Amino acid sequence: MDLSLDRAMAERLERARELGRNEVRPVGLEADREGRPIPVDHPYFKRCLERGEGRTRWSGPDGKAEGGARRERSTVDALLLAEEMAYWDRGVGVANPGPGLPEANVLSAGTPEQKLRFLGPFLEPDRPRWACFAMTEPGAGSDAAAIATRARRDGNTWVLDGSKCFIGNASRADWILVQATVDPERGRAGQRAFFVESGTPGLSNFKIEKKSGLKAYESTSFSLEECRVPADNLLGGEPRAKGNREGFKAAMRTFNAGRPVIAANAVGIGRALLDESLTFAREHGLLGKTRVRDRIEAMRRRLRAARLLCLQAGHLADQKQPNIVEASLSKAMAAAVGQEAATFGMELLGTVGARGDHLIEKLYRDVKAMDIVEGTGQIQRMIVARTLLGLPR
Amino acid sequence: MAFEFALGEELELLVKTARDFAGRRLAPAIREAERRRGVAAAVRDDFEAIGLDRLELPDALGGAGLGSLSRVLVNEELGATDPGAALALDPLGTALHALDEFGGNALLQRLLLPLLERPGARALLVTGHDGSIGGDDGRLEAAIPWVPADAADLLVVLEGGRLRVLREGFELRPLPGSGLRAAGGAELHADDAEVVFCAHDGAAAARAMARVRLYQASLLLGVLRQSTEYATAYAQQRVAFGRPIGHHQALAFALVDMHAAVAMGRLLVREAALRIEHGGDAVAPAASALVEVIEASRSIGPMGVQVLGGHGFMQDHPVEKYNRECRALSLLHGGIDAARDDAASDLDTLATPIELSPLAAAARVTAQQDAP
Repeated sequence: MDLSLDRAMAERLERARELGRNEVRPVGLEADREGRPIPVDHPYFKRCLERGEGRTRWSGPDGKAEGGARRERSTVDALLLAEEMAYWDRGVGVANPGPGLPEANVLSAGTPEQKLRFLGPFLEPDRPRWACFAMTEPGAGSDAAAIATRARRDGNTWVLDGSKCFIGNASRADWILVQATVDPERGRAGQRAFFVESGTPGLSNFKIEKKSGLKAYESTSFSLEECRVPADNLLGGEPRAKGNREGFKAAMRTFNAGRPVIAANAVGIGRALLDESLTFAREHGLLGKTRVRDRIEAMRRRLRAARLLCLQAGHLADQKQPNIVEASLSKAMAAAVGQEAATFGMELLGTVGARGDHLIEKLYRDVKAMDIVEGTGQIQRMIVARTLLGLPR
Repeated sequence: MAFEFALGEELELLVKTARDFAGRRLAPAIREAERRRGVAAAVRDDFEAIGLDRLELPDALGGAGLGSLSRVLVNEELGATDPGAALALDPLGTALHALDEFGGNALLQRLLLPLLERPGARALLVTGHDGSIGGDDGRLEAAIPWVPADAADLLVVLEGGRLRVLREGFELRPLPGSGLRAAGGAELHADDAEVVFCAHDGAAAARAMARVRLYQASLLLGVLRQSTEYATAYAQQRVAFGRPIGHHQALAFALVDMHAAVAMGRLLVREAALRIEHGGDAVAPAASALVEVIEASRSIGPMGVQVLGGHGFMQDHPVEKYNRECRALSLLHGGIDAARDDAASDLDTLATPIELSPLAAAARVTAQQDAP
């Protein structure tokens, strides 16, 4: 057992910290003040590209692109970086250009042609580019198996009908990987994922939602009406997608990989709350009060435990060992701990928190989403209970 | 990258050894051990034969020379079966930590080793947090309402930055005891008792308390684990309203939260133990780990009983014992309040961003080692 980091990772974290302080937090605060996502043409995104961000992890058709090196990064490394970036602003991390959430699906299930076509533009992007994954619907949130968006085959095309909501970066994405059902009677086994490119007729009614927090990135609703895409846009192609439940499993792979990341995000936000709370308590002479001191101690302790739980889940993934219990526990616990930290921070501020202009107040609004996205805390407990108690589905 | 959560082959073997011993020798007799206020001589012989009585004693003194991580792993296994028996079986207990930190091998050899020559002899550490200990460097006054022992052959008193050791002149008056009954239970009195060794060293006392708290926390962690596992197994078998009670969401979620609390407490305990093994400052992390485990015990102890309903209240099941052990273990060495004081002791001086774990500190060490 060894919890030390090597020099390279320590240096990466230090660079992330500098970037966060100088770039991420300022642009995140700006978006929160303005009450809108970071605009597509914001200079911040241009600087992201100049730093080499916004690229795919795919190593290209000849396997030589530098993205391959990034793919080698361990899950633990990725979690530590996710935590550090969330410390400075979790919303900005989601707003960053790149192939985003569906990249893992394309890498694991996409055909060579699909990788070239959909990840290729992210090898050396000429401008900030985004992609996104659309699962959630107005009537299907945590119960992802209940999605109602239909896909029907019509000659050499697939025709999609339905609506999606709360999809990150959807209006600015080059393409959206849309989860739809080809056969509702088959439940999860009937689900498939389809690439829908921006500008495809029938992809419309984009509405950027007004959110409580995490304002730096757009959460968008849209509809698909007789939206026709080529047959080649079925993720994995015909033979692979015909496999039983492959479509749903491909989607769930994304979520399984995502849970510890959300946990790391929650720990990062919680750390920011801890630092701000400690600073406030010091500046106002509150550390001498036992009730304040003990709650700060509890905040640090619970965050430390949540971080270790999260890293343990990541470490198991790196070891190719099952981590479903650890991943879900880390997500459920870290989100709760982050919220506890935020509540304490607000109580510590007192009426200062009610003014609406303190970073703690922003983080209080931001952190709540960590207990909702990628499966609520209740869903995580159900997942764990299936393993521990044989809870039926 | 060195990051590794797995224990490795040697530590896994140690865990297996402790688990086998606890399952084979302690588990069948947990109620008997409570009644007899101790463990049978044959069980003690087994404990000694596999070397668990000298786990942290340095190699040079004939011990296994293992560190804090080994200690917390073994204690979790023993605590999961019978923490009272674990205390009764350990001849050196936490007295070893205090003597080691104040005087190293020389002090251990002088004061503690002789105990190992006497079957059943036991050193007892008491710590002062509430004014129940007085006297001066040469004499001890004490009136401690409860210690988990019927007798002690060496009394080690840690109070503030002062360590005092006594061989005689103190009295243990038996009590029924609420929990940890297998270790015995008594009120401790000393009236102008002679101190045979005294030293002052605030830093050594703080280091000793860190090890003491991890010893205590890991025993308690074992209790929490076992209470959770027992309740989980019961919840899968017991049927109410047509399905296993664990399939009712109210209980399912409660049991998941119990598992989560055990997992989080375990990580904090092991992290603090690692910090000690690497020579880092573990005073606040160890205290913090104990606070976390005690807080978890406040819900897990009663909930373990609750899951079993009326059955849980009866001594036919061990969960009522686990519930008692939770509280008794939590009260030792100043309990959660003293631990909170130490856990928060560094908040005044912390720089931000606060490092939550040894990750960064260890990384700095590794970076220096990597440097050409």
